[in-house]
Amino acid sequence: MSSLLEEVTGVIRELFEDDRIAVTESTSAPDVEGWDSLMHLNIIIAVEQRYRIRFSTAEIARLKEPGQNVGSLLAAIRAKTGASA
Amino acid sequence: MPSPRDESGPDSRTFRQGITPDMGFAAASAAARRLKKLRRAGASSRASTRVAVLGSHTTSQLSAFLELFLFAGGIDGVIYEAPYGLMRHEILDPESELYRFAPQFVVLAGSRRDLSLPPPGARHQDVVHAADAVVTEWRTLGRIAHERSGCRVIQNNFEAPAWRTFGNLEMNHPGAIGEFVDRVNRGLRQDAPEWLTLHDLDGLAASVGRWQWGDERYFHLAKLPCAPEHLTIYAHSLAALISAHLGRSRKCLVLDLDNTLWGGVIGDDGMRGLSLGAGDPVGEAYVEFQRYVRALSERGVVLAVCSKNEESNAREPFERHPGMVLKLDDIACFVANWEDKATNLARIAETLNLGLDALVFVDDLPHERALVRSLLPDVAVPELPADPADYIRAIEQHRYFEVVSVTQEDLQRTAFYRSDMQRRFTGSSAADLDAFLQSLEMRASIGPIGPDELARATQLIGKSNQFNLTTRRHSATDVQRMAADPRWVTRVVALADRFGDQGLISVLLAEQRDDTLFIDTWLMSCRVLKRGVEQLLLNDVVAIARDRGICRIVGEYDPTSKNALVQDHYARLGFAPLDNGDHCATRWQLAVGAGWEPLSHHIGGSAR
Repeated sequence: MSSLLEEVTGVIRELFEDDRIAVTESTSAPDVEGWDSLMHLNIIIAVEQRYRIRFSTAEIARLKEPGQNVGSLLAAIRAKTGASA
Repeated sequence: MPSPRDESGPDSRTFRQGITPDMGFAAASAAARRLKKLRRAGASSRASTRVAVLGSHTTSQLSAFLELFLFAGGIDGVIYEAPYGLMRHEILDPESELYRFAPQFVVLAGSRRDLSLPPPGARHQDVVHAADAVVTEWRTLGRIAHERSGCRVIQNNFEAPAWRTFGNLEMNHPGAIGEFVDRVNRGLRQDAPEWLTLHDLDGLAASVGRWQWGDERYFHLAKLPCAPEHLTIYAHSLAALISAHLGRSRKCLVLDLDNTLWGGVIGDDGMRGLSLGAGDPVGEAYVEFQRYVRALSERGVVLAVCSKNEESNAREPFERHPGMVLKLDDIACFVANWEDKATNLARIAETLNLGLDALVFVDDLPHERALVRSLLPDVAVPELPADPADYIRAIEQHRYFEVVSVTQEDLQRTAFYRSDMQRRFTGSSAADLDAFLQSLEMRASIGPIGPDELARATQLIGKSNQFNLTTRRHSATDVQRMAADPRWVTRVVALADRFGDQGLISVLLAEQRDDTLFIDTWLMSCRVLKRGVEQLLLNDVVAIARDRGICRIVGEYDPTSKNALVQDHYARLGFAPLDNGDHCATRWQLAVGAGWEPLSHHIGGSAR
């Protein structure tokens, strides 16, 4: 498990108030109970604040499209922070 | 006496204390989710209320945070959210879910995006009409919601956008959005009806900074009304207003001294060693903080001092330091000794006749704050930053002292409390109680609740806890209706004595049913305990009852965690036990036929 995935898992667990949630890069919203569009938005907002980054309107819109998964979110974070992890 | 419904285990207490307006969006979202779980598991607070949130944009996060901040203030909020985009339908359709929900408060969460702007190039007259049309539409929506459900309406004003297409002329040119928003906001304030409370969204946006307040991305993506990170203070600000309407605002600011009101330690550094006053930047920061505190006091917040010091040392700067803004006269209760602060805070609350949940305690020392938080969880204890230049913001952001109206009594409150202390002092030297009461030269005026008395009477009904027989929180609309209904007897008492005007201090509401007068509400300010006001008021009510041919008066005592003070109220006034009412209430009756003799007291006529 990469450290970025661990960190984002932490963000997701905090928002869900549930420490048992496990995600991988291939996890997408339908895989997790309660991961609705509101939660999706909350995750993106929390990630922006956690990493002090700012996604563009188009980037957030893309992350909301069906078929996007945790891996897409990690890639978007890496692109903004320049992190290699 | 802990209320059986209060869930006050240490875990939930820590959780409650951790909910602050400066928590981030993610922490607030997590906390809101946790709260839902806790409440499903049966957690509850001392007070509850029903709030409907109606907005034309996304209100889900706002509603969840509103519930969260109400809970932090000891209120269980049952929140109803109108379906997206259906605000007007919900209000206009008498069969809508909104009315089935039966809200106590309806929040009209509008924003500038709801405004239909006048066309570009519109003439001045057209702009005026357009603004009038907006005000009329929202006033009508609010009035319908109020009339159909009896709710109080809390309505946002409109926030100006950050950009100014007219540049520096934005506020002068009738065609500019900024000017239009301002014109609408002025229209909303004008002749606002009693049932309407305006929520200053524009002030909130300005305090954050307008570019920071709006995050256009999240409006375009999800129709969020402002940047997500500011939804917390938005919800907190609404929660503070609702708390204020429920009579749960804080009333007293208790201040530590060393490194809180001045820099340095008076006992070690002496008067000359203190950092306080012009010429020293840190000293100026303390002066500015004291000015803020005094301004709070002037609008009705009671001040107290709680300091670990020799009392003479603690008082010396107040008496002689040229940099002090606060004087001893501003402090209603001054406690300086070496006992622990929890004990002293309890003493201050008792001396001022306030509940612990009316206090805010400000201290620069983290261990003192921690002690008070753990021993007296009802006292609010804000975190204080290291720099005194940041103190004002640290306190202000919590909105502890939110008000819904400011009455003449508020503006004179510290003076009231101080003269009350002098009175007790005089009392101890009076030969006996009768002689003492006689020496007060008290004068009272009693009358029905008219337009001049409505605001203060409703305020007392909303916040009196201790001398309050039934603790029924009637709204101003209810009270107005009772005052106009011939079956109801509404009485208010104003009292003055040789120390000054006490203002309006007691309210009684009673309803006649056939030959019986039922007392719905009887309350009194604790400033005037044991002064004979109850006897005076009962004599007055009996006289009215006899005029109406009523032969008995029935009163009720409904116990709460705060009103044990009046459990023998009716027995003391000669009432006989009748039966038990709802819950744990007891009912009492008094026959007011020819055999009844007026009670004696020492209050003369006409206070005003």
